[in-house]
Amino acid sequence: MKKPSSLHSPRLSSKRRAEAHFHEMWSGTVSFSLVAIPVRLVKAVEPGRVSFHMLHAKDYSPLHRRMLCPKENKIVPPDEIVRGYELYPGKYLLITDEELESVSPERSRTVEIIEFIDMEEVDPVYFDHPYYLAPLKGGEKAYRLLAEAMHRTNKAGLARFVMGEREYLVAVKSTEGVLSLITLHYSGEVLSGEDVSPEQGKTEREEQDRLKGIIQGMIADFDPDKYADERRENLLEILREKAKHMAPVESPEVGEEEEESTVDLIAVLEKSMRKVKKTGEHKSRRG
Amino acid sequence: MSTKVAEVEGARLTLTNLDKDLYPSYGFTKAHILEYYRRISPFCLPHLKDRALTLKRYPDGVGKEFFYEKRCPSHRPSWVKTAKIPRDNGERMTVCLVNDLNTLIWVENLASLELHVPLARAHSPETPDSMVFDLDPGDGADILDCGRVALIIKALLKELRLACCLKTSGQKGLHVLVPLNSREVTFEDTKKFSRSVAEVLQRSYPDLVTARMGKEEREKRVFINWSQNDPSKTMVCVYSLRAREKPVVSFPVAWEELENALDEGNPRRLQFLHSEALSRAEKQGDLFREVLVKNQKLPYL
Repeated sequence: MKKPSSLHSPRLSSKRRAEAHFHEMWSGTVSFSLVAIPVRLVKAVEPGRVSFHMLHAKDYSPLHRRMLCPKENKIVPPDEIVRGYELYPGKYLLITDEELESVSPERSRTVEIIEFIDMEEVDPVYFDHPYYLAPLKGGEKAYRLLAEAMHRTNKAGLARFVMGEREYLVAVKSTEGVLSLITLHYSGEVLSGEDVSPEQGKTEREEQDRLKGIIQGMIADFDPDKYADERRENLLEILREKAKHMAPVESPEVGEEEEESTVDLIAVLEKSMRKVKKTGEHKSRRG
Repeated sequence: MSTKVAEVEGARLTLTNLDKDLYPSYGFTKAHILEYYRRISPFCLPHLKDRALTLKRYPDGVGKEFFYEKRCPSHRPSWVKTAKIPRDNGERMTVCLVNDLNTLIWVENLASLELHVPLARAHSPETPDSMVFDLDPGDGADILDCGRVALIIKALLKELRLACCLKTSGQKGLHVLVPLNSREVTFEDTKKFSRSVAEVLQRSYPDLVTARMGKEEREKRVFINWSQNDPSKTMVCVYSLRAREKPVVSFPVAWEELENALDEGNPRRLQFLHSEALSRAEKQGDLFREVLVKNQKLPYL
């Protein structure tokens, strides 16, 4: 890999440092039977999408997304926005924040393992999103024990747990001494493959053997390092080249005072409130 | 009746009814009250300084008749500092400023067990030094629910880079104060801001919070009384005794302490008797100092 020149923003580097993304999503305990292990949940993957900002071509001002009412051709402030569930085209059922809140699961601080399963029985179609579980202080020993035991028995724990507004079905498994947590799709979310399967019919034994032979001939160990997202690499290469020869365009300074005064206090508070709710720093749950 | 002439910081004061028990079910006499205020004064006086005091007098002790006195009594000693503040009818009223120990002792000798002051100083009555969220539990809610709301307010303000301090009201509620200490802020600003916060919280936590005063709306909820941010309103001063069965104090609470109280589910950790208030203040200093000195600006107004 080419070494990015010192001029380059670290953003243009192809390698993503894992630690930088070890942002805590949640913390609590993994528990089953009498064991309770304090852990924090961190991302296991960071999608390699190269993302772009939308700028005004005229002066490179970064553009904002706003809610536009096409009828009045007006930006609608947050306190005039309600949620509607589309029943038929153009017909909606209104739902309030309170009603949404009422179906949110109780916040919980535990990943409670209900049963142990064989991971091989779980078709990857159920896999949603992978995370790592990192031991918190005081939990290291129990963590190692569980990770080793699961590794030896080749079993994964099936658990439910609440993060944000949702309750997830998850599998906790051990990979080389590290516990990972994979959120699973509920079976209701998995679409049936029946409709895409071919019509019933006999296949010839000879044909089968021939294909088997071909497959045998192509067998390899899974080595993900052999593959990379080429589009991403090429795109970054273009950007690196550009950075070498071109000064970046600059967005105009937006007077902070001016912007602040145009921002609606309620909108700012609502936004901050959502953030606060998400991080769940506070203990808003009644005892 | 026991009467004693005392000399406090060079001023002569006649102290009366010293052995009168003003907290009869607990046993706490006028002498005890004077002693409490004498020892707490280094912490309390900076918060009273230059503010128009409303006396809340209990001549026969708690549980008996009491009265508010906004006007500074005309029989006051010559050394009591006063200010003239405009009233709604255009008249000017003379009020007491508790700026020194002898005035505090004199006021307490009048059995003004509770000390109530506005959020602004007398010379700039339209400029609040702080913004308050007065958290008042309705029927079926308690001080721990107030604590939960206080933590949400704190987290929300933190997003806006505003620090805040917490004290018990000494009754059932909690007070969250946001230090401002800026000349530019008005009660109109603090009212608008606190009301917006209260309403956003009510929308986000409808089962826990209400921004409305109605009794029904308050049931099982915490009422965020934003309307205290008003030049005509007073709040109980930090370190003031409250006229309840026991001599409890409106006392600062560290955020960690609040979290511990919530973890334990123990409302008693949010109640401070006179003795604990003294020993803690003398050990840890004024936890409410930030309210007096920290300069902050309310954003997005």
